[in-house]
Amino acid sequence: MIAASWICLFSPAAAVVVLALAGNRVTRRQAGLVTSGSVLVSFLCAAYVFGRLLTEDPEERTHASTLWTWLSAGDLRVGAEIWIDPLSVFMMLVVAGVGFLIVSYATGYMRDDDEERRYHAYKALFVFSMLLLVMAGNLLLLLAGWGMVGLSSYLLINFWWRRPQAVHAGKKAFILNAFGDATFVLALFLLVQQIGALDFGTVFSQAPGRIEEGSAVAVLIALGLLGGAVAKSAQVPLHTWLPDAMEGPTPVSALIHAATMVTAGVYLIARTNVLFELAPIVHDTAAVLGAVTILLAGLVALVQTDIKRVIAYSTMSQIGYMFVAVGLGAYGAGMFHLMTHAFFKALLFMTAGIVIHALAAEQDIRRMGGLGRELPLTYRLFLIGALSLAAIPPFSGFFSKDSILSSAIDAGALGISMWVFGILGATLTALYTFRLLFIVFFGRQDPYVKEHLHKERFEGRLAMVWPCVILAVLASVAGWLQVPGGWAAVDTWLDPTVESIPEATGGLLVFSVAASIVAALLGVTLAWKLYGARGEAPQRLRARFPQVATLLERKFYFDELYDRLFYAPASWLALVLQRRVERPFVLGSPEEVGEGTRSLARRVALTQSGLLRLYALAVASGLGVLVVVFLVVE
Amino acid sequence: VLGPGITAYLVLSAILFATGIVGVLMRRSPLIVLLALELMLNGGNLALIAFARQHGEGAGQIFALTVMVVAAAEVVIGLGLVVAMHRRKLALDVDEMTTLRG
Repeated sequence: MIAASWICLFSPAAAVVVLALAGNRVTRRQAGLVTSGSVLVSFLCAAYVFGRLLTEDPEERTHASTLWTWLSAGDLRVGAEIWIDPLSVFMMLVVAGVGFLIVSYATGYMRDDDEERRYHAYKALFVFSMLLLVMAGNLLLLLAGWGMVGLSSYLLINFWWRRPQAVHAGKKAFILNAFGDATFVLALFLLVQQIGALDFGTVFSQAPGRIEEGSAVAVLIALGLLGGAVAKSAQVPLHTWLPDAMEGPTPVSALIHAATMVTAGVYLIARTNVLFELAPIVHDTAAVLGAVTILLAGLVALVQTDIKRVIAYSTMSQIGYMFVAVGLGAYGAGMFHLMTHAFFKALLFMTAGIVIHALAAEQDIRRMGGLGRELPLTYRLFLIGALSLAAIPPFSGFFSKDSILSSAIDAGALGISMWVFGILGATLTALYTFRLLFIVFFGRQDPYVKEHLHKERFEGRLAMVWPCVILAVLASVAGWLQVPGGWAAVDTWLDPTVESIPEATGGLLVFSVAASIVAALLGVTLAWKLYGARGEAPQRLRARFPQVATLLERKFYFDELYDRLFYAPASWLALVLQRRVERPFVLGSPEEVGEGTRSLARRVALTQSGLLRLYALAVASGLGVLVVVFLVVE
Repeated sequence: VLGPGITAYLVLSAILFATGIVGVLMRRSPLIVLLALELMLNGGNLALIAFARQHGEGAGQIFALTVMVVAAAEVVIGLGLVVAMHRRKLALDVDEMTTLRG
């Protein structure tokens, strides 16, 4: 089982090495097969490990394996070790499973791209990094995976490096993530100082004894970890990179910026729940940030006109739900939503990718419309994703979202306010999701569609369609794993690692579920009234509340604010330093030094007259001076 | 110790040395400069031998012998240079030899 885990981890790494060394010697098609094959191997290994864990006693399901001491400094020893427990296996299955489907989809989506091989190599690098992140047995190795997913995300966002926006978006993502990485590192420093170890076993068993609950140190550690989680998971206030990251190819958006990497923050909080529970105030902050993100992102999604950006804002909003869950201690519900979200959001991105492909790379929804008749299969797949995202029973999103909401409603005053945010968010989710659906697939066709629509067999390429079908099936049925008031397979599976707070029962549960269904249906109805039925309602609304519309279209001015606060002063400082320091001093100094040496040499050279007797005189007078000095000293 | 005291020897040595210095500094003919140099060396030698005699030790005499060997070698090279200069029809004047001026 341990061997299978290591194979699971290193199989994509091997693919990276092969692709990097092979270069042009493999064909583009083979490159895609190498990557998808390696991820399939990972998934099969993860499934095998899962099966083996199932046969074991629930309390004995934690295994660690160390290959070698990776780093040692003083008493601190950090090994290259993996940690196999229900939580990491859960993440391995999601990452490798959804990863395999998306990588297969990408072999179709990226076919005929100029640099297809580079793309597949990066993708394999990403899967390896993500597996490293979820399988790492200590926080330092986790941080290594954390940094490497940031790197591969950066490389893939600006994969189309000829587009300036893509390069800009890549840098933005990298810098905001680096901020989170930095706070993460600071938290690790504090842990090393307090506990002297970083491996999960030691840290989680000793932290409650060595770090006082609610003390400044506990708060700082949790804050550092939260900073990393918030940046990686694009939560307010470090969220501005995610919408821009949509410049990357669509499969990248599906895999990295929807299904796996951006949920790493949720995994981190669940994994280090011991440390968060030592700092209740930070733990609550995570939930509050999540709740704020649900609403902010949901509102902004209402006015976006780029099909991928709408889905990106929806991703932020859904991760907000997960943050609410793990922030309140409902880890099982959070991880459950992480899984169903991976299914339906990857499905939405990939069907959006089929639409974009069919329309010659157009992403603006104002130039779509009426595609339901032209692309019936894509429409149905998208509809399943949308129903799941909008939490309409019996699709998976309904169960996972209700798992979160019914945990929140029974979790004290904070929980109830989070629940209110969640219900408001549910209406918003349904509204923006079905706005997208109605605008893209219903109504009159834009002239652009008539001109550019080209369908392939199966509407997209076969390699693009079959992963979508599998994901659609998963998005439809995965919800039955955990039914509010019925059974809770995910909670039960994760309980040995992270114990979740109980869900509400009885009348409260019925109320919560009913409220969420009503909220979702309300959103769908509203979307139909506004965007489904042909009418001028959206324009009228916009004309009536122009400030609100501008506020939303400008995404609450976060970008402008950060520009003013950080970018503008930094670039001003850089300009001043360039003018006042670099040009006169740094660039000027070599010339100055050279010129000074030369003029000094010119003066010294005057003494070198070539007159032998002058030299002799110099020697003689030097001798005379020495004689005088010796005589005087004597 | 028989003969005059060390002072007389040292005075003679100083006179020789000073004559040498003046010769090296004042004369322009390389032959004379070499000659004056030889005078300086011998002034030094005389002082060394005088001290050796005063202290009754051999070390000073050994130094003097070494200086003579070096002086002989130096004269060989110096006179060789003078002959070479003569053959190339260069003026025998040290002030004219200023090729190494900076």
